[in-house]
Amino acid sequence: MVGLSEGEKEFIKGGIAQDLRSDGRKRHTYRPIYVETGVIPQANGSARVRLGATDVIASVKGELGKPSSLQPDKGKVAIFVDCSPTAAPMFEGRGGEDLSAELSGALQRCLLGSKSGAGAGIDLSSLVVVEGKVCWDLYIDGLVVSADGNVLDALGAAIKAALSNTGIPRVNVAAGAANDDQPEVDISDEEFLQFDTSGVPVIVTLTKVGKHYIVDATSEEESQMSSAVSISINRQGHICGMTKRGGLGLDPSVILDMVSVANFVSRQLFDKLDSEISAAEADEDES
Amino acid sequence: MEYVSPEGLRLDGRRPVEMRQLRAEIGVVAKADGSAMFEMGNTKVIAAVYGPREVQNRSQQITDQALVRCEYSMANFSTGDRMRKPKGDRRSTEISLVIRQTMEACILTNLMPRSQIDIFVQVLQADGGTRSACINAATLALADAGIPMHDIVTSCSAGYLNSIPLLDLNYVEDSAGGPDVTVGILPTLDKVTLLQMDAKLPTDTFEDVMQLATEGCKAVANYIREVKTSFFCLIVIWDLCYNYC
Repeated sequence: MVGLSEGEKEFIKGGIAQDLRSDGRKRHTYRPIYVETGVIPQANGSARVRLGATDVIASVKGELGKPSSLQPDKGKVAIFVDCSPTAAPMFEGRGGEDLSAELSGALQRCLLGSKSGAGAGIDLSSLVVVEGKVCWDLYIDGLVVSADGNVLDALGAAIKAALSNTGIPRVNVAAGAANDDQPEVDISDEEFLQFDTSGVPVIVTLTKVGKHYIVDATSEEESQMSSAVSISINRQGHICGMTKRGGLGLDPSVILDMVSVANFVSRQLFDKLDSEISAAEADEDES
Repeated sequence: MEYVSPEGLRLDGRRPVEMRQLRAEIGVVAKADGSAMFEMGNTKVIAAVYGPREVQNRSQQITDQALVRCEYSMANFSTGDRMRKPKGDRRSTEISLVIRQTMEACILTNLMPRSQIDIFVQVLQADGGTRSACINAATLALADAGIPMHDIVTSCSAGYLNSIPLLDLNYVEDSAGGPDVTVGILPTLDKVTLLQMDAKLPTDTFEDVMQLATEGCKAVANYIREVKTSFFCLIVIWDLCYNYC
């Protein structure tokens, strides 16, 4: 990251205080969002989201596996994020591991619910094939290609788009298998079930700079933040997960206010994302 | 298994001397000094260049030259089966070294002493020929970053299956166990800068296969020149200055 001079820092903070950021946006305006789906043909579903200069790719791959004995009626989902060194030289070698772990953890909290599987944004019971024996293991991989702030929101949007693009092949189970054995399964190549993503939340990150909070911070604005709260909200307006980052403590009333702002902003984000995703799917069908 | 049908068509419908479709795009990573995406058929890679900049590790600084570093990583979803470890395995380390040596040979490093140039290559989809695609992408990214070079480097691979030399192997053909010859050339200077081969070939057949790969490299160079003529002005000007000063 190139350092910022004192003058530049003042410019950023002053702009935010006056509701006019360096690129002309208001505090609660997102950068233009571009969504492309089906970018990784060998995956079950994939999407690429560009939020200004932030560019992330998410891919969903399904493999058949055995459900955990604690939750025999639910499939399994694992989320991994990798920060590519192309995004920043400091991600070279193991430099990106900290950020990758943080992003993976935040996404798991927002999308996967609690340890018992309750409250997950993704309907895990739709992934089971034979209860207790065979289920789908979904591996959601995120890759950060270019990072210019607000990577978490972009990843959330990419995962939502990738899940809408995901087709789970239909599995035909051979009848008459003995109770203890693994049943024989036949994965169909032609028939696919589209994943239901109406319950999948989006993530809105609010970054506090000075006395105000902004949505969709660029990396320069993030460098001036005192704290940031990432809230994951679904279509019904329910909060699905929350993460606070940054050292400075926040007054509880401020957090509640941030939650209501996030709720408001998420309406627009849902609409924008849904229209972008359908446009992307239409493009993909044509090509 | 038959890799070339009796009519002379390969598994993906190409002729033996036909390359896969090429596609390149410059400036895909806005924050990098130079970046490019290169596709050869289904193989898709992104290269980003950061530099010339100050050397991060003082002990590695070279007083009369630039330090060139390279890292190759594959995305988790790039191969058919999901990979668990995107970087740090032996193959990635070897390819990072190969790309570094190839690019270092063509960069005019003595023009940028005590500085560092980082080349990062990220494979998004791997379908054979990743090494070549990475070198082609790195060349374009270096050109996009405005780093002075002797010449561009282009690379292509060729193999020999069912007694026929095949250009630009894809993953299935590469896994067939036949020889795989990867060549990197400096097209204007007409010099070979990278040559790697695995498995075995009789010497005269090797000459044919290497010749075929070199033709492939020249085809890549033509593609790059046709589509991206504007960059080339930059490199030619540099070269002229370098030769006349």
